Amino acid sequence: MKKKIEPFEVIVSIFMILISLICIFPFIYVLAGSLNEGMDYMRGGIYFFPRKLSFDNYRMVFNDKRLLIGIKNTCLRTVIGTVTGTYFTALVAYGMSRKDLIFRKQIYWFNIFTMFFGGGMIPTYLVFSKLHLINSFLVYIIPSLYSVFNMIIFSNFYNEIPEEIHEAGAIDGASEWQIFYKLYLPSSGPVLATIALWIGVFHWNSFFDSMVYTSNSNLQTLQLFLVKLIKEASMAEGEAATKVPAQVVRTTSITTIRYAAIVINMLPVLFVFPFVQKYLSKGVIIGAVKG
Amino acid sequence: MEVRKGHRKRINYSVFIMAMLGVIFLVVFCYMPMLGIIIGFKDMDYAMNISRALGTSKFVGFQNFKAFLNDPDFKAIMTNTIGLNVLQLIISFPVPIIFALLLNELSFERLKKIVQSVTYFPYFISWVVFGGILIGLLSPEGGAVNQVLRSLHIIAEPIAFTSKPEYFWGIVIVSAIIKGLGWGAVIYIAAIAGIDPSLYDAARIDGAGRFQKTVYVTIPCITGTIVVMLLLAVSGLLSSNFDQIFVLQNPLNISKSEVLDTYIYKIGVAQRRYSFTTAVGLFKSIISLILISLGNFISNKLLGRGLY
Repeated sequence: MKKKIEPFEVIVSIFMILISLICIFPFIYVLAGSLNEGMDYMRGGIYFFPRKLSFDNYRMVFNDKRLLIGIKNTCLRTVIGTVTGTYFTALVAYGMSRKDLIFRKQIYWFNIFTMFFGGGMIPTYLVFSKLHLINSFLVYIIPSLYSVFNMIIFSNFYNEIPEEIHEAGAIDGASEWQIFYKLYLPSSGPVLATIALWIGVFHWNSFFDSMVYTSNSNLQTLQLFLVKLIKEASMAEGEAATKVPAQVVRTTSITTIRYAAIVINMLPVLFVFPFVQKYLSKGVIIGAVKG
Repeated sequence: MEVRKGHRKRINYSVFIMAMLGVIFLVVFCYMPMLGIIIGFKDMDYAMNISRALGTSKFVGFQNFKAFLNDPDFKAIMTNTIGLNVLQLIISFPVPIIFALLLNELSFERLKKIVQSVTYFPYFISWVVFGGILIGLLSPEGGAVNQVLRSLHIIAEPIAFTSKPEYFWGIVIVSAIIKGLGWGAVIYIAAIAGIDPSLYDAARIDGAGRFQKTVYVTIPCITGTIVVMLLLAVSGLLSSNFDQIFVLQNPLNISKSEVLDTYIYKIGVAQRRYSFTTAVGLFKSIISLILISLGNFISNKLLGRGLY
């Protein structure tokens, strides 16, 4: 083992640090902008720190009822959706991972096919409407209960668990359900964390379902609120800002209000990320063992 | 597991029920919509009630498909979709691989960990947030990009990047690289970590340097992973990142920003052309299915391994 520092490694290190800065800069930029007085922001030059500190942008955005509705719905769907989705997928995956599952191969293919072919938006809408999921909170929960991709990752993990554990459970007279619940589920910590986090992030970030399957404004999610805020603003910009939104008070601007909404939206991910980031990639590594 | 006739093994009903829960889910949410493909062969555009129209409307054969192929927007949409994807395949696809290879060269573990964590943070932030920031960064009024370019005297007047169609593809490609770089590399980093260290020792004894080790050991060892990722990328030739494009799209850049996925959304939800939308969706699904099967077949023949 040589400990000499090579110039090549120094160059790569600097390059890597540069890339990291590029990846993180947009978030610092938006945080600084959101904390700056809106009119002052328009003069430019706010990159890392606010120049005229002001919380008016946050005050403005919290004035909007749609934000509070969005926060409520997004938090609810993230919590409920993650718990139910993770549990359901883990259960199916356990069944799929058992070698004595009848028609295992056929069922496996039945799953795989759906990853590569689908009916499309309108037929899906039709099915949802027959199930009374349109304009219902359940449209956020039920259709995302199960994911074939996550099931495969769970299954790969269960396949790695020594068969002796299953046998020990079976000898003690435990049913398959008990073996899953008492033996497999508790020992699948890292993969459970990975999948739960992926599902959680999916719920927190998705807006398409809210946009297409709900028209009731009380069911709108936080992301959809932000989409509307951004789309309205970017259009106003294109049309040379002819319509100034009425709610804009003198010191705030639509840009900085938008930044405040963006920060509110990403703050939970920002806070949770450092603690969970090591789990986020575990599943990929487990999946890659087989893939 | 095959069930042999004669001495049939006892069927494990519990695990069968567990697996069937998944099957029932897929029947309802994936296979039933597949039956709904029939809508594409009917004339149900602008129907007030889709369920009712499904029974009453008449069959029109491939009329919806022909209408799409003859649509004045067809050429632009296909050019945008395929052009953007081909460019991403050439420009963006190798980036995470190179990133993973470079990261592998770092011996300072602490830095490696920090770089990895920081670079995959943007992946977990929604495109709505990231796109919103991007619009701000590129804005002609106080946006950082214009300010920096102006202070460096590269441009004289601020440019409204998001309102000019000619910049749209560049914005999509660069922003997707920044957002997906770290996460995209995870799978390659995992593959590199799985390489037998004795191969490197052998290469070292043979006098291989850093560069040669990468070319003759690391890259051949991760080719399988690269092929799988490439197959997935190729099969997505007609799919775009809806969230990304939708957020960055506006009426001024529409000529370069309308791709198949955003078009499907527009004609389906905003214009309520249900049959037409289903036909366009089916057109896309079938081509994707052909691409993935073809890619898998070729990969199996050439490399002896594919996706499945």
